[in-house]
Formats: sequence, C-alpha cells, structure tokens
Amino acid sequence: MRRGRQSGHAMIELAFSATVMAACLAGTFQFGYSFYIYDQLVSAVGNAGRYAVSRTIRAATPEDLEKGKAAIRNMVVYGDPHPDADAVPVAPDLKPENVLVSYVAGEREGAPSAIDVAIADYNVHAVFGAVTLKGRPAVEFPFVGRYAASESEP
Amino acid sequence: MHGKRAQRGFVLIAMSVTMIVLLAVIGLAFDFGRIYIARNEAQVFTDAAAMTAAARLDGTPAGIARARDAVAHLPMRWNLGTQPFTGVTVEFSADGSRWEREPKDPASIVKARVTAPSNNVDIIFLRAAGGPAALTVPARSVAAIDPVRLTQ
Repeated sequence: MRRGRQSGHAMIELAFSATVMAACLAGTFQFGYSFYIYDQLVSAVGNAGRYAVSRTIRAATPEDLEKGKAAIRNMVVYGDPHPDADAVPVAPDLKPENVLVSYVAGEREGAPSAIDVAIADYNVHAVFGAVTLKGRPAVEFPFVGRYAASESEP
Repeated sequence: MHGKRAQRGFVLIAMSVTMIVLLAVIGLAFDFGRIYIARNEAQVFTDAAAMTAAARLDGTPAGIARARDAVAHLPMRWNLGTQPFTGVTVEFSADGSRWEREPKDPASIVKARVTAPSNNVDIIFLRAAGGPAALTVPARSVAAIDPVRLTQ
C-alpha cells in the first residue's frame, strides 16, 4: 500500500520535472535554431554583398538590371548566382523573393555608389511560432565593379 | 522506514540537479550563440566599411575625410541587427605596416583599415556562473585601392 503511494509520488514528481525540462529543451532549441538561421543569413547577405559590388552591372534595359538583381538574390539564397534547379537554400523556405536588393544612386550617371542587400520578409519557423525578419540582416557595400550601360545580361 | 521516507522526493532532487546543469548548458548555448552572431555581424561590417573607405580614397585630404564620413554613415547594425556600431576607427596606410588616423601624406595612401572594437555583447546567463558581464567581439578588415578589394 505504502509502496504504491511512493511510486505514485515518484510519477507525479517525474511528470512535473519532465514537463519543465521539456519546456527548457524546447526553448533551447527555439533560441539555438533561430540563432543558427540568423547567423547563416548574416553570412549569406555578406557574401552576396561582396559578390554584388564586384560584378558588372549591365543596364541596356530594365530587364537586364532585374536579371542582375536576381543573380544577387540567388547568391543570398543559394550561394550561387546561377543555381541548379535542385539547389538547396541556405535557410529552410528562403526564396529569392525574401531578399531585397537595391542600388544606391551614385554620382556617375546610372552607376550605383553602393548596393544594399537585406532579408526583406522571412519567417524563421522554430518550435513555438515563428520569428519574422524584416530588413535584417542587411549590408551595404560600395559598388566597385564595372557599369556597362549598353550591355545586356547573358 | 527511515530509508523509505528518504526515498520520497528523490526524483525531484535528481531532476533539480539535472535542471541546474541543463540551465547552465542552455545559458552557454544562448550566450555563445549571440557572441558568434555578433562576431559575424562585426566582420561583415568591417569588410563593407573597409571597402567603402578605400573606394573614397583619391590621394587628397578631402578623400580621407570622405572615407571617414562614409564609414560613419554606413547603415549596418549588430546585435541581431538592432544596434549601430560605435567606436569604429578608420586608419590609413601607404604600405600596410604603419597605420595613421590622420595621414600626413594623403597622396601616398593605398590602404584603409577599419576596426569595430566596441561591440560588447551583454552576457546574460554565464554572468550568474561567474562569467564576465560583457564580452567584446572586435573585428578588423583591410581594403586596398586600384582596384578596391579586401586584403585582410
């Protein structure tokens, strides 16, 4: 009788402790995973920024400019300006539409003085809900590449 | 009888000890995660800042001033993208070995070096275990001109 009561106590203690412990572990995963994804994104926008400012901007038509920006977005998402069809993004569900690329107007006509690359709207899905990243991480690198006003993107 | 009474609450005690260890590990993961991100953010910032400074150099004192000003106005942030970088130093060099904040001969300058030394990450959990209240994660980059590129 007494032994049965003891094992009941142990069950209640275990249930209580396990609940708290599970919550702690889930919280750890939530923070750890969110930090990991954020760090991946910091590296991705940094690499894309460095790539963006050293490439040739071909600006014969607005479509050419858009193709150039698409290559930079791909660099953020896939680490490759021209990824294969089965390329895997650096973060789950990250798409080129989640990346904002903007040219900062410069003194030379048409050529930007700098290029901004930022994560525009992306949800990091962890255990409890999602963390939305809007406008961060973001980088601004000075444009040091070639500006070709009359060339077209291949 | 006495032994059986002592058994009561054993799970709670064992779990409490485990929980303390677990919380310490969680704190370690949390604080180190933030430090690692801050370090990465600072490195990307100094890369961009060094290139920005080098791109403004034109052999004149005005170019030096423009380089410094451009770095000060970079919109990049750290601490999960929430805080501006402070205490950023911009130095210039003609040979990559001697660095000056106010170069005497701007015409000879071919390199810019940016250091972000003041990004102190507040330590939240490890402080309780005797760790420091804050940890500085400095970053430094060097960029050269003609063509503008990162060299360090």
